Order: sequence, then structure tokens, then C-alpha cells
Amino acid sequence: MRVRHVAALSCLLAASSFGLAACGSDNNDSGSSGTSTSASSGSKSLTIYSSLPLQGDSRAQSLSVVNGEKLALESQGNKIGNYAIKYVSLDDSTAAAGKWDPGATSGDARKAAQDKSTIGYLGEFNSGASAISIPILNEANILQVSPSNTATGLTRSLGADKGEPDKYYPSGKRTYGRVVPADHIQGAAQVSYQKDNGCTKSYLLNDKEVYGSGLAKNVVAAAKTQGLTIVGNTGIDPKAANYRSVATTIKATGADCVFFGGITDNNAVQLFKDLHAAMPTAKLFGPDGVAETAFTSKLGSSVEKVTYITNPTLDPKLYPASGQEFFKKYKAKYGADPEAYAIYGYEAMGVLLEAIKNAGAKGNDRQAVIDAFFKIKNRESVIGTYSIDENGVTTLSVYGGDRVVDGKLVFDKVIKAQTS
Amino acid sequence: MEAASITETASAGPPARKLSDVVNAYALPLLLVLALVAQFAHSPHDTLDDVKTGLSNGTIWALIALGYTLVYGIVELINFAHGEVFMIGSFVSVSLWATFGVDEGTAMPLMIGSIIVVLALAMLASGTLNVLIERVAYRPLRNAPKLAPLITAIGMSFILQNVGLLWRPTPDSAPDLIGSQKDYFTIFNVGIEHSDVFAVVVTVPLLIALLWFVGSTRYGKAMRATAQDPDAARLMGIDVDRTIQLTFLLGGLMAGAAGLIYALYNGTIRFNQGFTAGLIAFTAAVMGGIGNLKGAVIGGLIIGVIQAISDSGDYLGLPLGPQWTPAVVFGVLIMVMVFRPQGLFGEETREG
Repeated sequence: MRVRHVAALSCLLAASSFGLAACGSDNNDSGSSGTSTSASSGSKSLTIYSSLPLQGDSRAQSLSVVNGEKLALESQGNKIGNYAIKYVSLDDSTAAAGKWDPGATSGDARKAAQDKSTIGYLGEFNSGASAISIPILNEANILQVSPSNTATGLTRSLGADKGEPDKYYPSGKRTYGRVVPADHIQGAAQVSYQKDNGCTKSYLLNDKEVYGSGLAKNVVAAAKTQGLTIVGNTGIDPKAANYRSVATTIKATGADCVFFGGITDNNAVQLFKDLHAAMPTAKLFGPDGVAETAFTSKLGSSVEKVTYITNPTLDPKLYPASGQEFFKKYKAKYGADPEAYAIYGYEAMGVLLEAIKNAGAKGNDRQAVIDAFFKIKNRESVIGTYSIDENGVTTLSVYGGDRVVDGKLVFDKVIKAQTS
Repeated sequence: MEAASITETASAGPPARKLSDVVNAYALPLLLVLALVAQFAHSPHDTLDDVKTGLSNGTIWALIALGYTLVYGIVELINFAHGEVFMIGSFVSVSLWATFGVDEGTAMPLMIGSIIVVLALAMLASGTLNVLIERVAYRPLRNAPKLAPLITAIGMSFILQNVGLLWRPTPDSAPDLIGSQKDYFTIFNVGIEHSDVFAVVVTVPLLIALLWFVGSTRYGKAMRATAQDPDAARLMGIDVDRTIQLTFLLGGLMAGAAGLIYALYNGTIRFNQGFTAGLIAFTAAVMGGIGNLKGAVIGGLIIGVIQAISDSGDYLGLPLGPQWTPAVVFGVLIMVMVFRPQGLFGEETREG
């Protein structure tokens, strides 16, 4: 009898770990490129932490963002005024999960919160991860700037879940900002892009994360204003072996376009392949969460032709001279073109450094730096001139549409989104 | 086929069965079949399509489940690293095709030849790996408390996952050698795809060979004897360590084959595919009755069908969908376990 109990018990264990892929893994600082030395606040050395998923499918994208951040810091000579700035890159993913992990994320945030020399925190890459690190850093009163979060609920209540965004800010004060437009803008851009490409009935899928399901909701809202029929919105199991039954069901609804709100790590390549096999003529749309080589290079020529991606990064030619300079400098230094979000990594670091600079003599005072960040107006940056609004969000709202050619993301056009 | 269960009493005659036992044994399978029939009446075409997809997916789960059930039957150990052995099978297959330069454009006879050769090599690689894992992480703990090898098994699983991560950090595409999602023929308006045919054509001979090996050869007899009572088997002159090694080899061979089928069937391989596949296959083995070979196969097929039906989003008007699939699968598992703790086809195993 004992045998059976062991089997049943281990099976329950197995079942419960099904949803918690991270069992027993806590290597949250395996990607750390330096160690933190504790310096009292008031010292001349300050630390900026970066926290990004350095394992799994997002690895290439994340490394490219880290490179962008480093470039921006180097362009200031690694110092602002009298303060030497140290940069530490942390990893918010685990190998077992193959993507960002809640435990690793809170570990990173705690590490930064406990380091007295910390002045800023760049991250996370994924909105769901930021939902975990924002409260920790908020209590420690550390300015956090994300290079890539787009989920609306992190900063505004309109179109967000109940309790958002206030539940992320236990201190009652805002400490978080971002340099990419939030997803109510991407949702509108996505719907415009679908309509531009002749979609009449669209089916939505999402990966159930804060980012993916939030974006799908924004697409639903935008579709209502712009008059696009949505025939379904379903979450997928990101760990499924394939999506053949799902694809067959979508085909039966008569949808001519399918949108996936989600990230590459959540099995996007397999999903796109199975959708295309079941519906060869349907157009497949993805968001900025799949605007990376790990996704585009694996689709194959046939799926590429029906793939459309919205992405806040535009063609280099559309950026101001400093932006074009960034692409040249990046390629010269790292020998490859940057991934889509590298320029936002550069800008996240840039705006954080400006906040420290604007705080002047109080550049080592966390509150002074936060205040300076929220006061940034008409900053001339590599991605254009923008201000930081009262929610900590960029005032830029331009989105691009991309196609995939020979495994690479190719800029298609600027999308004129009709936002409500 | 004599002795489909590795733990079945080797020579005892058919046990006398009471009516209540028979009801107990057949009620749950009957209930599952009825649930399927009801769904068929609800929407015939969709159900046929789901059953087709489910069965072909299920063959992969079945092959992996066999490895769990064989190993559990003989050493009462849940080899958590088995899912990763399967993943390595996929990786080896895709790497070999890349090395040989075989892709979609290769001539047909050469392509078929390459699939057969790579199948053999992938099976061998996974089998050898499984034997090595046993030698390194389980054999030294043969007389240790049961928890010790369980933990080393989980440890091996994570180590191999990291090997996979180093080998291929992002998902890779397998060459579409079989034209995976092209229709081969159509029956009752349901398109049978190349991949469905391929999965069945590779799996069925392997299953028959395995059942024959365990049921009808001297080695199989030694395995069953060891499963029943290792000490007595040793006294009777059976080399128990060798027999256990053989069991791990067989399980690994099946996992390697499953790895190759998975790569060609789905077209994408990734380093953490073994984690999910392992859990599902383990569930299949438990649902079918761990230690029972036929149970593992049928458990795999049942889970495949449940997944497909749940994925398509409508069960008797109940709005399911891919986001609920893991919950549905494990819900059915819990139901089966509660009413039949030994699994659908499980028998009394060695008393612990």
C-alpha cells in the first residue's frame, strides 16, 4: 500500500509543480556581471541595477538591451557630476522556467533595495515581472525605469484591472516610469494595422500573463472603437506541445486574422506554425513581445509571409540624428545590429542619468532623483523629444508595423493609430 | 500477450474475481468512454477531429510513459529525469539531420533512410544516457531511503535541462521531413495528416516489440522476477543490477524514439519541452496504473484525447479552452485516483 501512496503523493507534487515551473531554482543572480559593494548614502559611488531575463528565448533581446544601457552610461563617461556610476546587470529569469520568474525577480529587487549605494533600477523587461519588483523598490524609494514594459495597469487605472495601479505602490508615492508607450496605444495601433491589412474578423489569443492578457483586452477595446469584429479571445497553455486543436477551432470561427498577445518564451513559434498550417491564408499578428530574433528567425519562409508585428521601435531613418548615431555606434561596438529594444535600453539609462544630473548636488538622494525624473520635460533623446507625464510614462505615442523577411524583422510603416 | 504488467505475478493463474471487482475495474473506463460518446453526439465532426489529434499526440506521451512505468515497476523510483532524456532524444535527432545535411529538399529514399538511421541513433543515445543516469545517480542509492533517489532524480532533471539550455538556448526548428501537417488522406471528413500516420507507424511496432520483449523473453522474465522480489531474484541467480540497467535502457530507447517523433510532429524543439512532456507522461503512467505497460499506453492516449477536446474549447457546451487544459487533465487524474488509486489498469504491486 505504501507504494501507491508514494506514487499518488509524487503525482500530486508533480501536478502542483506544473504551474510552478521554478521549483527548486533560485539562481537569481547568475547573470550578475559584478558584485555590489555596500556604500553609505552620501558616498561618491552610486549603483544602477538592471534586471532582465538573460535566459530563455528573450536572452538575445535582453543582452542587446544591456548593451544599449552600457553604451548610454559610457557616453557619459560612467559618471554624473562627482558621482561615479557603477552598473550591475542582474537576471530575472531561471533556466527551468525558460523565462522571467517571480522568485528571481523579487530576489533582484531585494538585492537592489538592500544595497545602500543603489540610485536606480532599470527593468523589468516583462510587465508581469515589474508587477512584482515595483512594490519592493517602491518601499525602498528607488527610482525604477523600464525599457520595455507596456502593460497599462502598471501606471494607469483606465483599461486596467481592479486595484491597479495603486496596489503596486504601497508607499503611496510613484517611483516607476517607462520609456515606451503603454498598451492602450499598442492596442489601437494593432487594430489599425489589422484593418490596414484587410482583416474583417479577428481572433485573439493571449499567454495569460499581465502583459499578454492586458494587451488582448486593449485590442478588444480598440476594436470596438475602430469597428473590427473580434470573434474570440482565449488564453493558451504556454507549455503545450502543440496547438493543433486550438487552430482547428479558430478556423471554424471563420476568422481571417489571428492576434497573439504574448511573448516568444510562451511558445509563440509553435503557435504561429500550427495556426498557419491550419489556416494557410489567415494573417497572423504579434505584438512587441515577439519583436525579436528568437522569434523571427524560427518561423520559416512560409509563416513569415503572413506574419505582422507591432513594435515601438521604428526604422533608424525616422529617428533624430542622435538615434541614427546610436545604431551606428552599436553596430561598431558589438558587431551586430541591435535587437528591437536596445534603443529603449539606451534611453532608459539616458533618462535615469538625466534625472540624477538634474538632482544636482542631491544626485545621491533617492527622493531627489525620483522628483527630478517626474519633472523631465521636452527631453531630446535618441527616440525623439518627449516628456515624462504624471504617471511616469513617456508622452511619445508612435508605433511601427513590421514584417519578417529572411528571419529578420523589417520595418513596414508607421501606424497611424486612432486612440480613444 | 503474456504479462503486459511488469509487476504482474509471473506464474499465478487468473485470480478469482468478484462482481464488485469487475464493476470497480470497468466502471471508470466506461465512464470515460461515455463522456467521449456524449461529446460525439454533441458535435460529431469536431470530436472525430479531436480524437484523431489526441490519439496521435497520445502516442508520444505513451512512449514516454512506458519509461516511467518500466522503471517504477522494477525499482519503485520515479525517474524525474526521464522527460529530459526524451528532450535529448529530440536534440540528438535534429543535430544529426543537420550534420548529415538532410532537409526538406532531400530526395525521398535518402530521407526515409536518414529517418530510420537517426531514429536508431537517437534511441541509442537516449538509452545510453538513461543507463548512465542510473549508474551515477540511482544505483549508489539502491539501499538508501526512498527519498534520496527521488531527490537525485529531480537533480538530474535540472542538470540535463541546463545541458539542453547550453546546447540550444532558444527554440529551434526541426526540418519538416515528413510534411508534418499535410493531409495524407481524408476519412469521415477528417484529414489524417502525415504526422499522424508517422507517429502511429513508428510507435506501434515499438510497442509490440517492447511487450514481446518483456512478456516472452528470458530477459523479460528476469525483469518481472526482479520487479516482484529483487532479493529472491538474486537468490535464483538473476543479475539484478544488469536487469535494472536493461530496464533503464529500454525506457531510454522509447524516450529517444518519442523525441524523434516529437521533433518531426511539432517542428519545434526547446530545452524545457521535457519538463512538461515528462509530467504529462508520468500522469499517463499513473492514470493507467503505474507498473502496467498497457496501462501506460492507454493512459497516454486518454490524456492526448482529453487535451485535444479541452483545447478545442467546447465540451458539451461547457466553455473550456487551452488555458484550462492542464487543470482538466489533472482534474480527470484526481477523479481516477480517488476512485481507483491503483490506476485504471493497475494491479496490486509489491507490498512495501
